Amino acid sequence: MSVTVKRALHTVPARFTPSISEHTTSATTRPSSRKRYERIAYGPLGAGVLALWIGIALDRFVLGVALYWAGGLGLGLVQRFSPVELYDERDTTIERKASQNTMNGFAYVSVLGTPGGLALQGSGVVTLPGEFYGATWTLFGGFVAFGASVLYYKRRT
Amino acid sequence: MRNDVRERREAAGLSQGDLAAALEVSRQTVNAIERDRYDPSVELAFKLARFFDCHIEELFDPDLDWEPPRE
Repeated sequence: MSVTVKRALHTVPARFTPSISEHTTSATTRPSSRKRYERIAYGPLGAGVLALWIGIALDRFVLGVALYWAGGLGLGLVQRFSPVELYDERDTTIERKASQNTMNGFAYVSVLGTPGGLALQGSGVVTLPGEFYGATWTLFGGFVAFGASVLYYKRRT
Repeated sequence: MRNDVRERREAAGLSQGDLAAALEVSRQTVNAIERDRYDPSVELAFKLARFFDCHIEELFDPDLDWEPPRE
């Protein structure tokens, strides 16, 4: 438990009647600080994405990609060295549920779509484009990576 | 999970932002807990209980329809 919370807890009397000032924490843990650092973190990424599009439009693709990567690096650096936690446990829960839904969607596409497409091609109904196989292998790679990650955390949990 | 975080917070004269800052979570997380839309982790539940100087059972009502098996 952090020092800040411990300090706050120790200021709470039994069956509290605390004043706001008793719970006032340092400026770095205020929600406004979190919002400010979120803006600082996502600002470089947004600028990088914009630079990428401008680079593509102006046929300066390499420069655009370099600026995009720099933006991503900036996001990572701010997240790493920010004095405030930019994500809390609810964010983690939300991302986990979203990941589960995404993987479920991919599973349906993969389990139903891939054999279905191959069956249609085998029966001569359609001729599958190369993109179909590319997407199938990409999905397969995603599942392999997910499975490896699950195994890793099973060993650690 | 039903809880009386909002009542305790308001009784203390705190805003959601104040409580969120003390617990080092986002204001949205406090809001979601108060609206029973998010069940906090055990660690955060302990923080809330200690913050309000009470037991977790006083703060949260899991409404469990379960009893431990008796011999």
